[in-house]
Amino acid sequence: MSAVASNALLIPRNIAVGLLVIYRFLISPLYGDVCRYYPSCSRYSLEAMQSHGFLRGVWLTARRLIRCHPWSAGGIDDVPERASSDLRVTKHGFVVAHPHRKAQ
Amino acid sequence: MDFIGTILWPIRWAIELIIVGWHYLFTFIGLDPNVGITWVLSIVGLVVVVRAALIPLFVKQIKSQRRMMEISPKLKKIQDKYKGKKDQFSREAMSRETMAMYKENGTSPFSSCMPILVQMPIFFGLFSVLRNASDDKAGVGLLTQNLAHSFANAEILGAPLNATFMDALNNGPWQVMVIAATLVILMTASQFYTQLQITSKNVSDETKESPMYKQQRILLYIIPFMFVFSGVAFPLGLNFYWFTSNVWAMVQQFIIIRQMPTPGSEAYRLRQQRLERKGKLEVTDEGTETSGQGPRSNQRQQPMNSKRAKKKNPGSTGPNS
Repeated sequence: MSAVASNALLIPRNIAVGLLVIYRFLISPLYGDVCRYYPSCSRYSLEAMQSHGFLRGVWLTARRLIRCHPWSAGGIDDVPERASSDLRVTKHGFVVAHPHRKAQ
Repeated sequence: MDFIGTILWPIRWAIELIIVGWHYLFTFIGLDPNVGITWVLSIVGLVVVVRAALIPLFVKQIKSQRRMMEISPKLKKIQDKYKGKKDQFSREAMSRETMAMYKENGTSPFSSCMPILVQMPIFFGLFSVLRNASDDKAGVGLLTQNLAHSFANAEILGAPLNATFMDALNNGPWQVMVIAATLVILMTASQFYTQLQITSKNVSDETKESPMYKQQRILLYIIPFMFVFSGVAFPLGLNFYWFTSNVWAMVQQFIIIRQMPTPGSEAYRLRQQRLERKGKLEVTDEGTETSGQGPRSNQRQQPMNSKRAKKKNPGSTGPNS
């Protein structure tokens, strides 16, 4: 697949990433540190979007939010890892296609 | 009905039930049903119901805070391990290890965002109830046309409850602006007081060292801006709700800090001193592991570990807020 096409496919998740970055910058600090899990729910969502895409990201985020309540045990709860990926995450968190790095 | 309207429907129904219930009660004991103070008191009643329902969550929170002291040596160990390492990876590894340790010990200082999230739909629900009433329309439940009309036209000190600061800026009355500004100032003051009480007094020495704690302090300086926004953009009735909720939080926190402070914190040491002065000091060893506190309180019980102390003194604390 050409880089342009794969980047176009990445648009939904990048919109989600953009919203999450704004949320984490502006709104998250208002709550302070309240999450019973590590990484926090918004960080989890961000990582899920980056590695699993928009739809699965929404699904994983919803499940995590339901898990995170005052009676849950908490602890470490990472996003399930993806087998292989030819994507690259920029320093601002956005995902771009990067097929040529695959060999490295 | 639109999507958000559908979600808010049951909440609005419940809010109307509570407000109308209080309004009925206040009218029954002789207040004029159409004056502002009756409706403001009904809003206060709503706050009382909502916050009282949240008390079990706070009690749970306090209990887990008390358990924090049992694990404070472990927390300190992790902190020592990462002492002086300020790079991102060490910070992350430290948070990770800390969270894993909390889980292992079945306790956590965090309550998840649910207590905050629960209050948000109530806030929006009340907003839409007030908006609806101000258009002179009947509500979705018990707020009949007559009551909605009364609510919409209720005035406190000459300021209608459904007016916002922005409305008043253009076409008065000036009382709305004065009351809104006063509420914003009072809310900010009470929030500052509550947060300062928590962060400077009711936090153990170990927690004070953590990066999470430092982030928490940023809150103090962002929240006033939210109050200003709310005071300007939202109707007076809503600001009365928020103000009352704030006062409740302040009093609740005051009672907690005084009566059941976090072990190892400043407030805990002060309480120990108070008890000692009155000659009522029973459990002194709870703070020993957290090191660095008051000079004279603890030597006598040094050899006793916290488990034994607990057995000796079962249920010495209880929810009293």
